[in-house]
Amino acid sequence: MSSLLHLFRLWFTQIRYAATRELAFRANFFVWVIVELSWFILQLAFVDVVYQHVDSIAGWSRPQMIVLVATNQLIQQIFTAFFMPGLVKLPELVRDGKLDFVLLKPTPPQFLISTSHLEIGPLANAVIAAVVVTFALHDLHITPSLPSVLLYLLLLLAGLLTHYALLLTLVSLTFWIIQAESVLLGYYSIFQVARLPREAAKGWFRILFTFALPLLLVANIPATTLLRGSQPASLILFLLTSLTATLFASLFFQLGLRRYQSASS
Amino acid sequence: MITSLSALPTVFSIGLQRQFAYRWNYLLRALFSAMPLLVSWVFWGAVFQDKKTVGPYTLASLLTYYAVLLIVESVSSPADDDFQISREIREGSLNSILLRPLPYGLYRGALFLAGRCAYLVAALIPVALCFFLLSRVVPLELSSLDLGRGIPALLGSALLQFSLTLCLSLTSFWLLDISSLIFLVYSLEFLAGGHVFPLDLLPPALFQVAQFLPFAYEYWFPAASLCGTLSHSAWQIGLGMQFGWALFFLLLAHILWQAGLKKYTAAGG
Repeated sequence: MSSLLHLFRLWFTQIRYAATRELAFRANFFVWVIVELSWFILQLAFVDVVYQHVDSIAGWSRPQMIVLVATNQLIQQIFTAFFMPGLVKLPELVRDGKLDFVLLKPTPPQFLISTSHLEIGPLANAVIAAVVVTFALHDLHITPSLPSVLLYLLLLLAGLLTHYALLLTLVSLTFWIIQAESVLLGYYSIFQVARLPREAAKGWFRILFTFALPLLLVANIPATTLLRGSQPASLILFLLTSLTATLFASLFFQLGLRRYQSASS
Repeated sequence: MITSLSALPTVFSIGLQRQFAYRWNYLLRALFSAMPLLVSWVFWGAVFQDKKTVGPYTLASLLTYYAVLLIVESVSSPADDDFQISREIREGSLNSILLRPLPYGLYRGALFLAGRCAYLVAALIPVALCFFLLSRVVPLELSSLDLGRGIPALLGSALLQFSLTLCLSLTSFWLLDISSLIFLVYSLEFLAGGHVFPLDLLPPALFQVAQFLPFAYEYWFPAASLCGTLSHSAWQIGLGMQFGWALFFLLLAHILWQAGLKKYTAAGG
């Protein structure tokens, strides 16, 4: 318990340091908010164009689809703020041998790598995504109850775990493939699945992205909880699969770490 | 000049070797690039559940468009040329290149060509596999591809994307970090270039505007040319616009290069 508290304290210190570093370049912060926002607008524009031609997709109306897309954006932006900047630096650390400095510290390397950086810009975009969810719910005349909102927040955490598991697995490939920069492209490509309404997926695609890689659950389950109330079976499935995926990713990272050979003299 | 040009095959060969040194990275990249096609298949499959056509498209013709986009991307999209050029300017490794009797634009052009060739080879298997799998489920209209119109549009797209990349990268003479600018342009390319959806699904007024912008000629125009959905006159006008924009960006790159060199300071040994 005390070691867990120690890790939290360490994380808080790292966040404070990273935030100071980020705020030293305020113009950069605003530019990145605009860049990330443009990608979100792109997704909303896509929804808008498609719904010019149809009224419903797999049982999802336009405002419901906006709740789904914005929920996905919310999770992705929180993940991008806290964990992604550190994780994507792993290939460079391995290639240059700088991972040595991480391994020498008396703290689990996975924790240090995952929490070493922070980007504040995505947090601003997470707030914008939350506002879009609120407006879409207003459009649908839905006022979620407090338990629904709390459950939604818990499910966002499970969504974060799923993002974390996938990216940790992908960057851990760097222990086998020296130049693994394309893993970021892989992460973004694979996570397009999370924006799909779950009912649209059929057959092997649905099985693969529900049980093996629970991407179809990441935004769908929280969004459905807000829109249609909670479905216990889906909730349990999502929590279990996200935890299993994180455990697997962690083991994969440890396996990769055993192959690491310092690049320095 | 002729002596300079004779160095280009060597630059191309070095570029090819450099690219293949990281073949796993390339193979992964190619594999991941097939993912959006699978997502499109699922998403549009749901859209077409109760409809036969959406705009001018059937499900098969729309998926053919997305499949053809994969080819367009393989042939014409730069990999990380923008970041490489930016690094060369920022870190001063441009010094050694300036000393060579070879125009920088041609040097980068040869490396871009080598990168595209390496990617095309690495992408062949995953793209072919994806086409094969998808054609088992959906009748893709691959037999009706119009290579006569598609190949010139593909080459035009490669030239346009290379020249635009060159312009963006050369702003490194003035800016410390250009990654935000690059990602901003990426998002415009995805939306206004027809990467997310074919531009003719846009409302007519927006479609007209999109056709005046260069982005439409990076993805939508070559893909539509290959799919054979353009009339002959529309294709001719499109090709003119495409090469016109490419020429504009090449000229702009030349101006940026000349101005940038006056500002560039070579430091260190």
